[in-house]
Amino acid sequence: MAFTSWEFLLLTAGAAVVYYLLHRHTQWPVLLAASLIFYAAGGLGAMVWLFAIAAVTWGAGLVLERMNDARKALSKGDKAGQQRIKRRKKAVVAVTAVLCFGLVYVMKYWNTTVALFPAAVERVLPRWDFLMPLGLSFFTFQSVGYVIDVYRSKYAAQRNPAKYLLFVSFFPQMVQGPIGRYDALAPQLLAQRSVDWRMVDRGIQLAMWGYFKKMVIADRAAVVVNTVIGENCPYGGAVIFVGILAYSVQLYCDFSGGIDITRGVAQIFGIDMAENFLRPIFATSLADYWRRWHVSLGHWMRDYLFYPLSLSKPFAKLGKWGRHHLGGLPGKILATSAATFVVYLVIGIWHGVNFRYFVYGIWNGSLITISMLMEHRFLAWKQALHINDKSRGYHFFTMARTWLIVLFGRYIGSSPRLLVALSLMATTILHPVPSQLWDGTLLNLGITGTDWAIIGLGTAVVLAVETFQERGGKVRETLERQNGFVQWLAIAVPLIVILLLGVFRAGYISSSFIYGQY
Amino acid sequence: MKEKIIQIMSEICPGVDFATETALIDDGLVDSLDIVNIVTELMDVFDVEINVEDLLPENFNSVDAIAQLIEQLQE
Repeated sequence: MAFTSWEFLLLTAGAAVVYYLLHRHTQWPVLLAASLIFYAAGGLGAMVWLFAIAAVTWGAGLVLERMNDARKALSKGDKAGQQRIKRRKKAVVAVTAVLCFGLVYVMKYWNTTVALFPAAVERVLPRWDFLMPLGLSFFTFQSVGYVIDVYRSKYAAQRNPAKYLLFVSFFPQMVQGPIGRYDALAPQLLAQRSVDWRMVDRGIQLAMWGYFKKMVIADRAAVVVNTVIGENCPYGGAVIFVGILAYSVQLYCDFSGGIDITRGVAQIFGIDMAENFLRPIFATSLADYWRRWHVSLGHWMRDYLFYPLSLSKPFAKLGKWGRHHLGGLPGKILATSAATFVVYLVIGIWHGVNFRYFVYGIWNGSLITISMLMEHRFLAWKQALHINDKSRGYHFFTMARTWLIVLFGRYIGSSPRLLVALSLMATTILHPVPSQLWDGTLLNLGITGTDWAIIGLGTAVVLAVETFQERGGKVRETLERQNGFVQWLAIAVPLIVILLLGVFRAGYISSSFIYGQY
Repeated sequence: MKEKIIQIMSEICPGVDFATETALIDDGLVDSLDIVNIVTELMDVFDVEINVEDLLPENFNSVDAIAQLIEQLQE
């Protein structure tokens, strides 16, 4: 059931009406029922995997809580007992992680892994012919995060399996996250509430903003991307660069638009979900960019991979070795740099089993590691050159520098293979053919001049809103201070724009969300 | 102890006034990479074991909070 389908709107509206009409004790079961209907609509087979992940992580949570209680019951002096329980807890987390991520691995990568073997071995190995369940990696991250939090005694385990299943399967988050935290999300899902019209209104507005980004901007830009970026690209470098810009606009409007729909729909039920984007266009470094892009994944990686990895014994040993042999700042940050590198590599590989994602991970990991090592040198250079790093000009320079680095990475992300990405980069620099920008080539990329104008204007509106927000402005609070007519316009105008320029345009087929495949 | 902590932090994150800031994490002055670099250095210098569970914003928002965490861990 796609977010852009009438069925989804009907499900959301129906669930919201029932949710607020029924007795408050039965509110969370309504959300669970809506979530299961949403998931079942994608195929009953996929539900087996959803239930499997939910069952394994729910069970692990209960076992860990029992161990936490047993550990508390021991006296502080019983070090051997404490250590024994700690080892068992670690084993439970390890088995859970292997089972859950093992399933993600088999679903996403098994057949590609098999193809890497010589033909004789490949023939013997079994194939995995199940379809990838919707949102598998997102709800797996969310569930494993819960297990690790219970392991760390951050909160008590959920005893009720149905309530836990709702946390794992809450329907707006099933396509592409955000990856919620149990302590922030579950109490809201299980709360009893009466209708808050302000929240409903805000939810509808946020979801419409998401539909605008997805259906009016991203789906148009997608046509350009599909025409320009690919094998044997016949265009000059300038048009390829326009294609990469279109891909950047598409990716951002598609992913952040989808998340706005998710968060908007959740707000209709009074639920505030985690933010996933903090206006990455304003990032002043690559590290800052990744802090603002896909925030919930970044936080997951930080809390459950980067921190434990950096403080683990092998990395502590590496750190000691660095201090001893390298000395100075490089020696001190060697272990952290290595852990950072691993995290970016994992994120790269998570996107897909393709050499280009591996290179993409290395590209991001290397640049961030190098900039950490060079930080002091950069400061010295700035002082030597009398550069005022508080000035607007310098701030803009850091943003533009980040855009260039990100755009370079986008060549790798958008191309089907690494070689294609490299060839597109080479053409961009060596054969720009700028005349293609005004000789009518842009009007033969699958969209009309009007579509180009809509993409341009739409992107300008998104940028204007984000500039307002970046300066501390609150869009919806500002709208709510206006008179009734303006507030009414704020609903009617976007609705008309989405209907005319998104839903009812000739030959329109909404594409699925890019991050849905991950 | 506080002077030593400020010295460690200033080396890893130059340009931040650690003596007066009280929202190092909340205001984004120190990020997760810096935190781990600072933590590994603190463990080395003060001979304490800081666990992942201790990596909470409230423990690292100010030099005072860090000093308090180390004192707790030393007990």
